[in-house]
Amino acid sequence: MTAAMPTIALVGNPNAGKSSLFNALTGARQKIANYPGVTVERKAGHASFADGRPLSLIDLPGSYSLTPSSPDEQVTRDVILGKQAGEALPDALIVVVDAANLDNHLCFALELIALGRPTVVALNMLDLATRDGLTLDVEALSRELGVPVVPTVAVRRRGLVDLLSAVDGALLSHGESGAERGGVAAQEGDIHRRARVIARAATVAERPVRRWTQRVDAIALHPVAGFLILLALMFIMFQAVYAWSEAPIGWIEGAIATMQEMVIGAMPDSFLRGLIVEGILGGVGSVIVFLPQILILFLFILLLEASGYMTRAAFLMDGIMARVGLSGRGFIPLLSSFACAVPGIMATRAIPDAKDRLTTILIAPLMTCSARLPVYTLIIGAFIPNRNVGNSPVGLQGLVLFGLYVSGIVGALVVALVLRRTLAKGSSASFMMEMPRYQWPRLRDVLISLWQRAWIFLRRAGTIIFVTTIALWLLLSYPKLPDGSSESQVDYSVAGRIASGLEVVVRPIGFNHDIALALIPAMAAREVAVSAMATANAIDAGDDEEALAQTLGERLQGRWSLATALAFLAWFVFAPQCISTIAITRRETNGWKWPLFMVGYLFALAYAAAGITYWTAVAFGLG
Amino acid sequence: MNDSLDSAALGLPVRISHIAWDHLSPGEGRRLREFGLMEGVEVTPLHRGSLFSRDPLALAVGRMKVVIRAAQAAKIEVEAAVAAA
Repeated sequence: MTAAMPTIALVGNPNAGKSSLFNALTGARQKIANYPGVTVERKAGHASFADGRPLSLIDLPGSYSLTPSSPDEQVTRDVILGKQAGEALPDALIVVVDAANLDNHLCFALELIALGRPTVVALNMLDLATRDGLTLDVEALSRELGVPVVPTVAVRRRGLVDLLSAVDGALLSHGESGAERGGVAAQEGDIHRRARVIARAATVAERPVRRWTQRVDAIALHPVAGFLILLALMFIMFQAVYAWSEAPIGWIEGAIATMQEMVIGAMPDSFLRGLIVEGILGGVGSVIVFLPQILILFLFILLLEASGYMTRAAFLMDGIMARVGLSGRGFIPLLSSFACAVPGIMATRAIPDAKDRLTTILIAPLMTCSARLPVYTLIIGAFIPNRNVGNSPVGLQGLVLFGLYVSGIVGALVVALVLRRTLAKGSSASFMMEMPRYQWPRLRDVLISLWQRAWIFLRRAGTIIFVTTIALWLLLSYPKLPDGSSESQVDYSVAGRIASGLEVVVRPIGFNHDIALALIPAMAAREVAVSAMATANAIDAGDDEEALAQTLGERLQGRWSLATALAFLAWFVFAPQCISTIAITRRETNGWKWPLFMVGYLFALAYAAAGITYWTAVAFGLG
Repeated sequence: MNDSLDSAALGLPVRISHIAWDHLSPGEGRRLREFGLMEGVEVTPLHRGSLFSRDPLALAVGRMKVVIRAAQAAKIEVEAAVAAA
């Protein structure tokens, strides 16, 4: 009955340490994709039994019961019952329970055991339970539950071999007897009572300890101090994105320049050389330099999440979120939207209320994602003087950047307020969540997630950005400017002519030909705006060595007014310049209505913001 | 003396005497039970709100800490519990 390679599903309550166990069992041999038709992440990986036979593991979203209240939990139920499209009924279940929280976690475990599938219980985080003064009788627990129970400490890789051999045993004995357990009452109240009785039977000693987490929370969740700590953490995070990335960005720039020189030295001047040097290395390179900043931002978010602080942040933010009709739940997706709106929008699946979720999705693109950083950094570097404000230690460039972030956040709150009173009207959102214990983030788990994010970014740079860069380079290079013409190659090209058409629409808000040219390819991904300008610039410079030696920023300084530069920044605070975000919104809202609405309102906001910025700046004599 | 959970003092354990299940949405009711919040259970309100609001409320339920809003806590009636050590 078991296939050559059995599939084992990892299932359990949120905060049971399931993902750590999954990481410990599979290591680098794991893949993340989406379930067909829904955007819930499908995490699967390979492991092997002690004798080397392979097995396939799937990590299911944390759930409290088989009665789903969010899309994530729906998938968990469907996979376990074999109803999920594209996923076979798992051969066995590993139920992960938190040893320190048996009362609650055993409810779901009992519900799963009652299904009669081959099941093993992983009694996880036993070390933390012991630290908290709990002594458990594993054998008694196993006897009561009627399935093997294996103590594990996922983060220390303890108990993994025993766990897999217990799974092997469960698969074998189930195959022989075909036994269907049953008889466990499925009534909700009964399950809770039984869970409590079993938890009590398995608990040998319970020494009430005054946990240090209580003391930490007294500060971290303090109405005033807690809020200031949250602000300070956010400030350090955004500061680090800049301070720590300076050196690595320099290395990447150096490496790209070296490669360009090598190609120029090795190849005669030709079509292919131009494509490689200007199109591929120049275009894709100008985006890859931002990898360090994106990784630092994700590192902070992952650390906050793994340590258990993120839920505290949600608690602190709930008051503000409630003002605009959202819940603290929305804070986590919105914060991760600062890295990228795509995973942010996907993370809204944990929000149970439909209207709350829809509103959160629609405002997620207003959080300043990392793809805007290339644009912001370029323009700020070129146009905002690198000096301090007055005699303070606050840098003017940093202040402008902070202002851009704040504009996005304020814009999002206003939009949420309006939406919750009009299109997404409904009862006020509820906010119910479990607060995980504090934990030291495990290096291994953080590195695995970080690597996955880096890979997604590089793949994006390697596909969408690569293709648009090459397409743009071709459109900019043809038709060739006739010899002796006084026009520039960029203006004469196909792309230049399209940009001239668009320029008519964006001229009132201060945009010039350079910007019109960059806006269209930047629909694919915002950071393409930078590579587009870099490519156009390189083609424009042609063989002019002096022009080639200038950086893109230096070139723009000579061509744009400050008012235009500021309007361009304001545009990127709001504009929906990202195909992936539109696509994910379509999938998450199941249709075109909401993504089209989102694109429409964001463009309107962007146009208005850029216009107001431009006109104000011109009025102050900056035009 | 019965009181609703949203006005209970912080730091003192209380016992849930009654939950107005009919006044909660089915989803809210289920989530409360999944958190182990049921009649007869002892809980301790721990933290309330932040700078801008007295909402939400963090509770200790057994060895678990959960967050609910005052609107739900108002549907939960509690009585003083004999303080555990």
